[in-house]
Order: sequence, then C-alpha cells, then structure tokens
Amino acid sequence: MSTPNTSVGAEVSRIKNRLAEHRYLRLLVAPGVGLLWVTFFLFAPLGIIVLFSFYGAGEYGAIVQEFTLANYERFVANPIYHTIIAKSFGIGVVTTLIVLPLGYSLGYFLARSDTKYKPLLLGLVVVQFWVPIIIRTYAWISILGRRGVVNQILMMGSIITEPLQLLYTMHGMLIGLVVSLMPFMILPVYSAVSTIDDDIIQAAKTLGASDARAFYEVTLPLSWPGVVSGILFTFIIAAGAFIAPQLLGGPGERMIAPVIADVFLRDFNWPFAAALSLIYFLLIGVSLYIFTRKADLEEALEGTAL
Amino acid sequence: MKGRWNWRAVKGLSAFVYLAMMLPLLVVVLNSFHPDRIPTFPPKSLSIRWYEAFLADQMLIDALVFSTKIAALAAIGCGIVGTLTALGFVRYDFPLKKGLVIAVLSPMLVPPVIIGLASTMFFGEVGLSRGTLWIATMHVLIGLPYAFLVIRSRLYLFDETLEEAAMTLGASRLRTFREITFPIIAPSILTGMVLAFVISFGEFTATQFWVVGSKTTVPVVIYTMLETLITPKVNVLATFVLVVTIAIPAIGMLIQRQLTATSE
Repeated sequence: MSTPNTSVGAEVSRIKNRLAEHRYLRLLVAPGVGLLWVTFFLFAPLGIIVLFSFYGAGEYGAIVQEFTLANYERFVANPIYHTIIAKSFGIGVVTTLIVLPLGYSLGYFLARSDTKYKPLLLGLVVVQFWVPIIIRTYAWISILGRRGVVNQILMMGSIITEPLQLLYTMHGMLIGLVVSLMPFMILPVYSAVSTIDDDIIQAAKTLGASDARAFYEVTLPLSWPGVVSGILFTFIIAAGAFIAPQLLGGPGERMIAPVIADVFLRDFNWPFAAALSLIYFLLIGVSLYIFTRKADLEEALEGTAL
Repeated sequence: MKGRWNWRAVKGLSAFVYLAMMLPLLVVVLNSFHPDRIPTFPPKSLSIRWYEAFLADQMLIDALVFSTKIAALAAIGCGIVGTLTALGFVRYDFPLKKGLVIAVLSPMLVPPVIIGLASTMFFGEVGLSRGTLWIATMHVLIGLPYAFLVIRSRLYLFDETLEEAAMTLGASRLRTFREITFPIIAPSILTGMVLAFVISFGEFTATQFWVVGSKTTVPVVIYTMLETLITPKVNVLATFVLVVTIAIPAIGMLIQRQLTATSE
C-alpha cells in the first residue's frame, strides 16, 4: 500500500545523499554561506567606497560621477584631518595603556583567586559585554557632571570645595572609553591565566625566583595570548570610538569616526566621507599588519568569544 | 602562590575596576526612579513618574519592539550562517583556509563607522530601501564572527566517530546531522545566537546610518534623546535595555545548561 511513497521517499533520500556528497556543492553550502555574506555585505561595499572616493561632490549632496582626486587633495591640504586621525590613534594607544594593567589585574585576580564568589564575579564582567556600550557610556554624564556622584562625594568628604570639571573633557572621555572596553582585556587574560598550571609558578619559586621574577618570566609570557587579544580589541575600538567622544569629550576632542559620520550624515558629502574612510581603513590595515608580525591575528580574535 | 603585598595590590585594583564598571549600571537604574528632571545625587525620594511617561510614549515602545525584532532576526541569521560556516571550516579542507577564516572574522576588524557608511552606499546602488531587511542583514554580518567562533570551538571537540557510527548503522547524512550532530552542538549554537542578539540590540555606530523614520533602534533613539531633548525617559528606556540584555543571555545560559545536561 505504501510502495509508491516508500520508493519516492527512498529516491528523494538517495538524491539528497548524492547531493550532500558532491564535493563542490558541499563547499558552496558550508563555508561558502559565511564567505558569501562577508563578500556581499562587507567587501563589495568596501569596494564601493574606493569608487566613491574618486567621485566629485556637487551642491546639496549631489554626486558627480567623474574621476577626480579632489577628495584626496582636500585631505592633504587640510592639516585638521591629519590631527584628527593622529589624535584618534593616539587615544587608541592611551586607552590601551590604561586598560592593560587594570584589566590584567582583574583577569589575573579572577583566575587565581579561590573565593567562592567567583561565578558571581565572573558573571559581573560578562554582563558588561551584554549591556550596550551606549548605556555604559552615557551613564557617566550624570556621574561626572558638576552635581554628579563623583563631585558630590568629593565635596561631602571636603576633599574639594569647588566641583571639578570632569565632563566634556579629555579625562571624561577616557574614563568612559577605558571602563567600557575593560571586559575586552579582562576575559581573554582570565582565560589565559587560568590555563597556567600553578605548579610551574611554584617550580620557578622553588628554584629561587622572587614573586616579581616568577611573574615576569613565567606568568606574564604564558598569559601573553590573552594580553594580545585584549590589546587588539581595545586599540581598534578605542581609535574608532564614536559614543564616548560625542557624549563625554569636549568640543576639542574630535575623533575620526564622528567626523566621518558628520561629513556623511550632515554635510551629505559622500565622496569625501568615502575618501576619509578609506584613509582611516588603510591605517587600521597598517596597524593590523604590524600586529600580525608579532602575534597571530586569528588567535587574538578568538580571545573574546569564550 | 602570590606575595602578600602584590596580591593585595591586585585585589585593590580589581575592586576599583569593579566599582567603575558597576557604577554606570547602578546610576542608570537609580536615575530612572529619580523624581526630578535633572537628577542629583543622592536622590531625596523615588518616583515612577518617568515610567508612566515612558509607557505613554509610543515612539519609545515602537523602538523597543523594532530592536527586539531585528535582534531576533540577527540571532536566527547568525545561528544558521554561523553553523554552516563553522561546519564547513572544521570539516573540509580547501585552499587559502587560513586567510578565508580572517575574511569571515573581518567584520570584527573593520570600524563600524565604515561598515555603516559603505553599506549605505552599496545598498543605495543596489536599490534596496532602508528597513527591517537591510538592518537585519547587516546585523547578521556584525554578529557572524562571534557566532562562528563559538560554534567552531565546539566542533573542534566533536568526536566524529559518532557520526561514522550512525552512518554505518544506516542513517542518512541528513538524519545523522539531525539526530547526532545537531543535538551535540546545539548549546554552542544557542550561545552564538544569544551573542548575536545582544550585539545587534546594542549596536549603534553603524546602525545610525541605516535607520529611517519609524524603523529606528533603541540605541539610536537613546543617542538622539541625549543629543537633542534632555528627558529623564531616557533612563527608563536604558533600564529596559539593561533588563533585556541581561535577561535574554541569562535565560539562554539556563537553557544551554539544560541542553548540555541532556545531550551528555
């Protein structure tokens, strides 16, 4: 009674199996999906940027589709853009230098501590990853403001008499950046340090190494992959920061990401925004190239996905 | 294992970092209950007036719904694309594999402002109009590296003899995947999807290029509120985001624990 069905079913599954075994189809179906996604929605758009950066800008956001070097000439002729880019990369470096010791301490603490609250403490760090950066950043407005938490506490303790100007300064912006990027250092360092066998450190000490020496010659090198991962993310995200400079920084703290967005969204000058993006992208590329000479990029990128 | 003095320094710094990380979250929640328009510290009393104002503001509710919808689509997209891509990279050998992995991971490296601007130019040329499909597609791109990495690291530990055993016993490839492979990697797929959800829900820098009119996400609304109209309703909205972005992954982790327990 079920003969036709069974034979159809058998036929279908045989075809499915043969399709599944076909090598090229498998390549297309499996890694190909992700590769197609990045090709269509990332690499092709990046190609479009190159094209647009050689177009001219007309009035009222019009795009003149004729080859011109005007956008690059404008960049070269205006030192303000060089300063903005240099400052962005500088802030990337400074943020990383502050995040590194603080994040390392916490990651090290989590890995080496034997407190029973460890799952909770680890959870509090992971939660930082989940809560959007814009929320963790804008909250500082009411913490750092003239009548904010920090100033109120300092005044109550009579440490200061006049409120400090913390908001809308470089310091305010750095506080926002450093704190919001901290988890990118803490988690990879934590996972790297927790894989270090305590016996190795003990062995170094038995052989006469001081605490400091055991740390610098055993623990630190062994946790280096975590540090490298933290440095990569902190630097790239801080240099490309948008929210912290806009909400916490002063008017003098112009960074490259908000400037590109302004040129694009407010001036509607797509070709110049494309040229700025391309220059910025190439400089990030150079940083990554320097990075890959010292460390493995793939391994570093794996650091945050725990 | 640790020198007493050094360990104290580590503990002290850690406590300081915890304070700095938790303070913003606490302040957001506290301010949402603050009775005044300009919050002062410490508040003299608590009130739910801004919650009432928030619930009466349809635009804010719409943004929460839209963000949730986009994040759910991004999670599903990343679950499917991430799983297939990870399977492909772990199971098959093909030329340039090392470089192609970096290609899949590259959305992590390209600054979001460039992703935002480039795709706006690109979709403009292609002729796609702004809206759900556009934003969801791009959020899949942004979440993909995370989902891919999480699922791939689980697949590395996968014992392939289980699949061979199933096929030797006569199961088809599809059935083997459904009954052997999928249940084992399901917890990691869920983790990847949850990550994609929270990343999508919080993404701002690129997304500000893609929103239009009523189809706008919560982070963009928060930013606009902060830039233009100063209203305490922003603290209520932020508190809701806080609850969503902590509750969804927490629930995900509970389900994941359940799944892992049953599959092993």
